[in-house]
Amino acid sequence: MSTAKRLLSGRPTKMRITSRPGEVIDRSKPVRFTWNGREKSAFEGDTIISALAASGERVFSRSFKYHRPRGILTATFHDPGCSVQVGDEPNVRGSHRLVTAGMKVTAQNVWPSLKLDVASANRAAGRFIGAGFYYKTFIKPERLWPTYEKVLQRFAPGGRVSADSPHGSYDKRYAHPDVVVAGGGPAGMAAALGAAEAGARVMLVEEEHSLGGHLRYGSETELAALAELRREVEASGAIEVLVNSAVTGRYDGNWIAILQRNLPHVTERLVKARAKVVVAAPGLIERPYVFEGNDLPGVMLSTAARRLLNLWAVAPGTRAVVLSANEEGDATAADLSDAGVHVAQVVDARRGEQVVRARGAGSLSEVELGDGSKVSCDLLVTAVGWTAPTLLLNVAGDRPVYDERAARFVPGDGLPANVLATGGIVGDGPTAALVEHGRATGRAAAERALARDGTSVTIPSLSPAPHPALYRSRTHGIVDFSEDISSKDLVSAAREGYDSVELLKRYTTATMGPAQGKLETINTVAVLAEATGRSIAETGTTVWRPPHVPVSLGALAGRVLEPVRYSPMQPWHEAHRATPIVAGQWIRPEHYGDPAREVRTVREHVGLIDVTPLGKLDLRGPDVPKLLNFLYVNKWLKLDIGSVRYGLMCGEDGVVLDDGVTGHLGEDHYLMSTTSSGADAVAHWIENWLQTTFPDWQVYMTPMTTAYASINVAGPKSRELMSRVVSDVDLSPEAFAYMQVRRGTICSVPGCVMWRIGFTGELSYELHVPAGYGLYVWESLLAAGEDLSAGVFGLEAQRIMRLEKGHLIVSQDTDGLTQGYGVGLDGLIKLDKEDFAGKQELEWQLERQGYNHLVALLPDDASVVPPEASQIVTGDRSIVGRVTSSRLSPSLGRSICLALVAPQLAETGKSVTVHLPDGTDVRAKVSEELAQFDPGGERLRA
Amino acid sequence: MPETSSTNTAGAVEVGDGPVARSPIRPLPPVRLHAGWEVSGRRSEAALQLADLSPLAKVHVRTSPTSALASFLEVGFGRSARDEGGRLVVGAGPDSWTVIGRTGTASEIVASLQAAAGAEPASVIDTTHGRALVRLTGSDARRLLEKVCAIDFDDAVTPDGATFTSSVARVVTEVVRDDLDGLPSYLLACERSSGQYLFDSLLDAGNEFTVEIDGFPEKEI
Repeated sequence: MSTAKRLLSGRPTKMRITSRPGEVIDRSKPVRFTWNGREKSAFEGDTIISALAASGERVFSRSFKYHRPRGILTATFHDPGCSVQVGDEPNVRGSHRLVTAGMKVTAQNVWPSLKLDVASANRAAGRFIGAGFYYKTFIKPERLWPTYEKVLQRFAPGGRVSADSPHGSYDKRYAHPDVVVAGGGPAGMAAALGAAEAGARVMLVEEEHSLGGHLRYGSETELAALAELRREVEASGAIEVLVNSAVTGRYDGNWIAILQRNLPHVTERLVKARAKVVVAAPGLIERPYVFEGNDLPGVMLSTAARRLLNLWAVAPGTRAVVLSANEEGDATAADLSDAGVHVAQVVDARRGEQVVRARGAGSLSEVELGDGSKVSCDLLVTAVGWTAPTLLLNVAGDRPVYDERAARFVPGDGLPANVLATGGIVGDGPTAALVEHGRATGRAAAERALARDGTSVTIPSLSPAPHPALYRSRTHGIVDFSEDISSKDLVSAAREGYDSVELLKRYTTATMGPAQGKLETINTVAVLAEATGRSIAETGTTVWRPPHVPVSLGALAGRVLEPVRYSPMQPWHEAHRATPIVAGQWIRPEHYGDPAREVRTVREHVGLIDVTPLGKLDLRGPDVPKLLNFLYVNKWLKLDIGSVRYGLMCGEDGVVLDDGVTGHLGEDHYLMSTTSSGADAVAHWIENWLQTTFPDWQVYMTPMTTAYASINVAGPKSRELMSRVVSDVDLSPEAFAYMQVRRGTICSVPGCVMWRIGFTGELSYELHVPAGYGLYVWESLLAAGEDLSAGVFGLEAQRIMRLEKGHLIVSQDTDGLTQGYGVGLDGLIKLDKEDFAGKQELEWQLERQGYNHLVALLPDDASVVPPEASQIVTGDRSIVGRVTSSRLSPSLGRSICLALVAPQLAETGKSVTVHLPDGTDVRAKVSEELAQFDPGGERLRA
Repeated sequence: MPETSSTNTAGAVEVGDGPVARSPIRPLPPVRLHAGWEVSGRRSEAALQLADLSPLAKVHVRTSPTSALASFLEVGFGRSARDEGGRLVVGAGPDSWTVIGRTGTASEIVASLQAAAGAEPASVIDTTHGRALVRLTGSDARRLLEKVCAIDFDDAVTPDGATFTSSVARVVTEVVRDDLDGLPSYLLACERSSGQYLFDSLLDAGNEFTVEIDGFPEKEI
């Protein structure tokens, strides 16, 4: 029995080793979960993959295209072979997600099982399905694409989502730190400390579950340094630490997007940080080596082996070969030996030694070296160099340059002042050097963030260490582990002419998989450079773009914030089962069961409608008449106190903007009403004129829309009802006539405004009651009118009655092109006024003619109601208008419409063709009046 | 977002014949009458509390920043302070203020401000019924607001007494930092019809901080 087997035997799980100094598992807290239906054990702190590896599992997925078995490569979030399904959640990064009790983990995209996957037959056909295979093969004949699609979908990776999957809780947060440090390794922690010491508010973001970067799985000296850094960070009151979080991108104005995961109550949160300065400290990502069999389970990066050993106390194998080109590789060999794993051979790339191929059925069993020798092993560790994840530098406008001596890209000189970099992305050195550089960079960041001089901060140099350029052995292997792209594929693509790195990327999809280039970009460039005979610097690299890590749609959407507005009478509407209708943000009663009955109630008795959403603007000051005269197309300089006038507003383009009535309440005091949908726009319109064009006018406008609950009391018995609840206003027709306003007390509530207008065509009073009393007054009115057969009516009944009366609704019967002269209110437009909004355009309208007109249409077949928006067409099917409103009138027993029609059709008695959505036509005649009911207005003036 | 609900008349407090004023925000039981308004008598001991203060008197003032009334109000744009009568004067805009006082005192406030204005142009309007007003109090209040409002709530930027108008949960909201007994506290006012929505949105965002509803406060303002 080997040393390794002796050490490992008898453990609760097969590959779990004895305690390591920096381990993050809590051995006192065992956790049980299932993997493909079989129960597994773990410890709190284990990731899914570390727990499975501890139990002896080596294969966790099948590759994208060839369905080759895949194991651990990086043991990080970005590990391409470790995506699994957890319960109903697909694509979970198993090397990052911590295991929890009861978790149900399964392999995804395999059939019928991970061990026996039918689609692995693709491997046999691998030589025929290289780069561009799908583009070339399935493009023709086009008619077969639906069939192709169905078949290909069966092979598509990505796990499963159930339609019944519960929606997670996602939200957003806005943050305003002085400095964001992206990366919580030694340099990042030091940068945060340096910035905080210099007085800045700092947000320190770390992708892993705890701070420390490579120190976490390093030597005892490094662990001691980490403990000290952590202590300092914890002691600082100015550093907010976000772990298990990633900076996903940087946008204009140093807008830093940060994704936080797995918070209490929140699945994912998008932090929108507006940082004054950002410090990029992402460290380095270890680069895989390209050779035949490099994706066999058992072949992994040195950092992966050290993470497994030192963070989770898992032996990555029992007999190892280590390919080392740097200190990390050497340290891994030492750690493996220390942990009891037999290191069969260290292959030192610095001395020209190399690995040529790896072999094994399902997982690694043998490595062939450059001298032809073969070594039996179940673990091959490679340490051949680093990739600098330069996303933050790229998106800040920098173009990193290739440093041949270090065999990696380093920052260029294009960084703006509000972006700094530190740590491995800048250069190499012992922990102390990284910390020194980080701390100074943090201080410099704070100086810039706080707009101080900053000249006193000297950032020490940190240069990349020389490193052999190792990308590919003399055999071909996988370059992009996510997309199953081999170096042979890349060479073939280059030979086909795709010799630009950007074209090569798009043709082969290399760097476009879930790893997004973090592992494969440099190798892709290197293989292309080799294939084209150029240098890596000449070949260039693709540009890193956000997001750095996948962001769920839930996180982008965040909390669902859809404001809704309710009137004070909403509880009554709900209690009486009103059918709600969404009108903008307002939730309003459309009807209470039978709109036609509601119409009859109003026409025969008295009805109440909640019209609270009507815009209401309080206007005060001696210059209000001038303002009104300017805003409306009609005249307003003379309006007696106690009177109300209807007005039409046009924009400066002469297009109908809004309409409503304005009442003169008292000296220098007016109340303007607007349409419900136009309240905000009109308020802004007024404030804009007052602030920009008429700053000298003494007018103060205050929106009061929801300060009043508004109730329209309509019907022949409305005066009788009003007389029962109003004590201090003479309601007689002589004292309170049509188009007049009074202030008084309703149902013992003082401070109410009531005006006599008639949108429904009936005698009616519009009441504006202090909103807190709205429900009380509503209920009191209904109680007072019980013996008058008082009822309620909703928007639908109101729309029917106003259509019977021919009253237009702005934005229903008009649109963004409807001109002032087109709505049948020509007499209202007073061009003899000195000036008013839209006057010049209205003058041109009159001169030009040719605009559409609003007319009433009566279908020849009175039982046909043309749906709104039905087109009006000529004999040659040209469109010459449309129906804007249509209903079956309960009062008239026939269909009635309003329509916008071309001028040649806007003549009384003209017969037009209305084209219905079902393809049939109906004929209709233009009516003499817009109003079909009480055109003389006798009822509303009663 | 939990389903938004409104005052249910079935749960309303029993009253006599007089008019009853109601906030746009549903009061949690026990419901009682306070100066003619239905208010919640609930008391919470939670570290983070949300209370409906809509019944408080709210008077909106517009006048020139150089007027006598502006001098009388003393508070500049973006700041708030209590006057001698304990009313909170909020500098809501370059030429606008909101004065918040105890329930039922709006007429009194209007009269005193009109007297201070004298003959100079000014608009002094009781907007008590037009505005919903809530108070969020607790050490986590800032963290909650950061989830629904893009403003920097750091003490250096939004100290006690600071006021601004911004989008809170996508509703135009006047925010006043008005600390209570050393605890961070924010008054949030929006137009009345959005009151229940804003209240529910704050509760939802505060779920992770275990926010609780507190009743109408004895201290009022």
